[in-house]
Amino acid sequence: MRLIILFSLIISLSLSSCEKVIDVSLKDSEKQYVIEGVVTDIEGGCVVRLSRTKNFDENNIFEGIGNAVVSVTDDAGNTTVLPETTTGVYRSETLTATTGKKYTLQVSINGQTFSASSAMPVKVEMDSLYVKEESFFGETVKLANVQYNDPAGKGNSYRFIQYVNGIKEKSIFIRDDDYSDGNISTITLFTAPDEDEDEIKSGDRVTVDMQCITPAVFKYWFSLDQGASGDNNSASPANPVTNIEGGALGYFSVHTVESKTVVVP
Amino acid sequence: MNKLLLVVLALLTCMQGYSQEKFTISGTVRVQRTGETIIGASIKAGDAGTFSNDYGFYSISVPAGKYTFQVSAVGMLIHTQSIELGKDITLNIALEEEPKMLDNITITATSKNRSLSSPQMGIERLTTKEIRNIPVLFGERDVLKTVQLLPGIKAAGEGNSGFFVRGGAADQNLILLDEATVYNASHLLGFFSTFNSDAIKDVTVYKGGMPAQYGGRLSSVLDIKMNDGNNQDYNVSGGIGLISAKLNVEGPIQKDKSSFLITGRRTYADMFLKLSNDSSLRNNTLYFYDLNAKLNYNIGDKDRLYLSGYFGKDVLAAGQTFGLDWGNATGTLRWNHIFSSKLFSNTSFIFSNYNYNISIRSGANEFDIFSQIRDLNLKQEFQWYINSKNNIRFGFNSVHHTIRPGEVRPSSSGSSINLSLLQKRYSWENALYFTNTWKATDKINLTYGLRLTSFSILGEGDFYTIDKEGSVTDTLSYAKGVFIKTYINPEPRVAASYQLNETSAVKASYVRNVQNLHLISNSTTSSPTDKWVASTNIIKPEVSDLFAVGYYKNLVDNNYELTLETYYKTMQNRIDYRDGANVFINSDAIETQLLFGKGRAYGIELQFKRKAGKLTGWLSYTLSKTEKRINGINNNKWYNARQDRTHDVALVVSYQLSKKWTVSANWIYYTGNAVTFPAGKYHVNDQTYFYYTNRNGYRMPSYHRLDLGATWILKQRKRFSSELSFSLYNAYGRENAYTISFRESEDNPGKTEAVQLALFKYMPSVSYNFKF
Repeated sequence: MRLIILFSLIISLSLSSCEKVIDVSLKDSEKQYVIEGVVTDIEGGCVVRLSRTKNFDENNIFEGIGNAVVSVTDDAGNTTVLPETTTGVYRSETLTATTGKKYTLQVSINGQTFSASSAMPVKVEMDSLYVKEESFFGETVKLANVQYNDPAGKGNSYRFIQYVNGIKEKSIFIRDDDYSDGNISTITLFTAPDEDEDEIKSGDRVTVDMQCITPAVFKYWFSLDQGASGDNNSASPANPVTNIEGGALGYFSVHTVESKTVVVP
Repeated sequence: MNKLLLVVLALLTCMQGYSQEKFTISGTVRVQRTGETIIGASIKAGDAGTFSNDYGFYSISVPAGKYTFQVSAVGMLIHTQSIELGKDITLNIALEEEPKMLDNITITATSKNRSLSSPQMGIERLTTKEIRNIPVLFGERDVLKTVQLLPGIKAAGEGNSGFFVRGGAADQNLILLDEATVYNASHLLGFFSTFNSDAIKDVTVYKGGMPAQYGGRLSSVLDIKMNDGNNQDYNVSGGIGLISAKLNVEGPIQKDKSSFLITGRRTYADMFLKLSNDSSLRNNTLYFYDLNAKLNYNIGDKDRLYLSGYFGKDVLAAGQTFGLDWGNATGTLRWNHIFSSKLFSNTSFIFSNYNYNISIRSGANEFDIFSQIRDLNLKQEFQWYINSKNNIRFGFNSVHHTIRPGEVRPSSSGSSINLSLLQKRYSWENALYFTNTWKATDKINLTYGLRLTSFSILGEGDFYTIDKEGSVTDTLSYAKGVFIKTYINPEPRVAASYQLNETSAVKASYVRNVQNLHLISNSTTSSPTDKWVASTNIIKPEVSDLFAVGYYKNLVDNNYELTLETYYKTMQNRIDYRDGANVFINSDAIETQLLFGKGRAYGIELQFKRKAGKLTGWLSYTLSKTEKRINGINNNKWYNARQDRTHDVALVVSYQLSKKWTVSANWIYYTGNAVTFPAGKYHVNDQTYFYYTNRNGYRMPSYHRLDLGATWILKQRKRFSSELSFSLYNAYGRENAYTISFRESEDNPGKTEAVQLALFKYMPSVSYNFKF
């Protein structure tokens, strides 16, 4: 659907349009906690970041929230307390997640507690990563493609993170198997064509992380991208659908991670 | 059977005792030169008066005696004759057009008098003549954009042909073209309407007080009638504009008896894209075309057959990668039969179809998405001019809907996309209606009626039970043809007028409307892929109740007209998407993505119109409020609907400078839409995202714009005439906000900024129109 919006914008732009920065006076709001919690299948991947919302006109430096108690408990009752490594960042170097097991995150900050649960999904391997030329809105661009074999049965969800020469691409790439259940699937990582500096060129090193995520986390990324990016193309901007209980923003994702790198020919 | 029905209806009607024998004058009103029937012509016999119906038919009953019989219509010379009435007579009237080559500029009214005696309120009527001088975007005359300049009717956005009526959403307008429902009335993502003004005879908008023959949408009826076709002589007319060209051919098949009309239009904006240096534009396709056609045939004096059709299509494509096409097709077969001088019947078979197709040919995923809504419709209506005090309309309407919500088909063997066909949804909508207009006294007129509707959801298909979080808890499967659920709704329609004096009246009305087909939309502009869904066991029929009162005054010999209406509307079972809803969900249970609630709207509308003289036009002002309350949105509290605009002003002026030149101007001002802006920001995934609290708690900046237009008549001969139209949209180049987005500042990455996008700063256009 992004494509349609993009398309209508291109039409509009071609008809003469102008963009300018304006002053909008926005009311301040009560600060909300933001929790980004991740447990993966590799050691060192368990990180929980705590921060808070800021008012619109403040700067974009989001200080971490220290002195919180953060723990992850598996369904056998084993609790790992995550020590604070830098302000607002809580890590366990050893905790890894196993497929099928359920993990519960507990966070308490200044007497407020938040929790979230997530089960570790089945790992689906990345079969290949390659860069291919595609015609995109009439221009030929180089785009990364990831191929994997989706297992039969709906409910598999994936997230991909692309780095070009070590720089992380901002777009959120997610895919579920609603329309492609049980198939050898390929996702093309489309990026907006107008951002020249993001274009992949020959000789670039392209790295893609593939995560197998839960449907709830898929919904989080989907709704974050649709409603909270600040784009006014969606009729009703809204906070993403979170799996955290207790009234915080953010998500708790238990997922697998696999990474591949290619040099663009 | 019919006789029995008539007797029952007669009992329902306020019959008047006959003190004196009455006779009926009936017939059809036409334009002499073309044979086109005239809708809404005024017919007077002494003090008694009536209007011709949608097919030009009239019937008027008066006591025996001598009368001055007079017929008048906009742009026509008044027909007057004396008659001595001693029996029922048939008078078919052919009106002559006002001569165009007058040395003195004509000063007769360019629009009809609003009838003070009729209880009908909330009605606006436009003829193509009235819209011809209004300046428009791209020089393309457009009825929907003209309608938006009327009080109480608001444009859905910059240059958009979608509209909101009295707080209603864009899908709450019943848009009819020769009685067929048009499901998507816009071309090119809303910048044009599907109605080619060359093919249109009459446009009537009901923003309230809908007569009982209309139903199915909550907020308005836009009833558009196509021309029948000239049955006297062949005519070719056309126009060439900056981005489109059109041609209209009409003529008799058999003089006086039958005629045809074909009108076509195509845009060629894509040809300009090809000239662009920018390859991202050059390789795209972007056009639409539409075709209107009509045949009509008189079989004797009592019967007439009409066959009309519309077909339109939009095609968008981004190189070979992405394509989207959509279009409506409608067909109407009608049979008018005059049973007697007092009983007129119309039977219609109607077909209506809307579909879109998206094709993706990109990367490893090649597939098509298809969706369709298709109606088969039978309508029967009787108009019974029972006596001089009562005028009855009754009939029925039966529609079968088939919706194909979504079908995904892989288009290559290597595609990783599975074939996925969502279940077809079937429903059967029926209505039985009756309405009477009763002249209670010389000053009081009443219209009262009832529309009884039923909506049956038919098998086969799966239907669901859903919990509060939107998860399916139970599924019931039904076999083909099974009646799964039937909703029955009585819709009362009541209106009254009281004529204060010769020139002023007050009116009041109440209507209930029920809507069983719902358009679910999640984008700011109307998108061709918005979903039509029928009521289900979970999606309840939407219901609106509208109360309105109005004051009407004609001034200075009917040269000016003042209208003041105020309304209060409530709406139940409104539908909205859940936060994070997936519009393209691959599931039959669309209900899992929806939330339900209610709405209310109220306002005052004022219009001051000058109808005659060199300077004509109107000033309209609307003060209004529109709110929604949806369970699960905005903490279940009332919030401003997106279309809530406090003030809305339109000034429309046209001035006849000389025989050759007419100049015109519009000025529009409205309060910005209600919109959701961030309450804060935060960091996730190494990026800044926005935090929201209140739904629609902010407003877009106020919108205002001036458009200028001029029409230059080059030649005006009997056999050939031509003109040039110039227009300048947004003449003072106001940058009106189309969208406001929020992003990290490009100059100062530590800060966040708001960015406004404006469209159409000065859009000049020119078009050439001809006729021979």
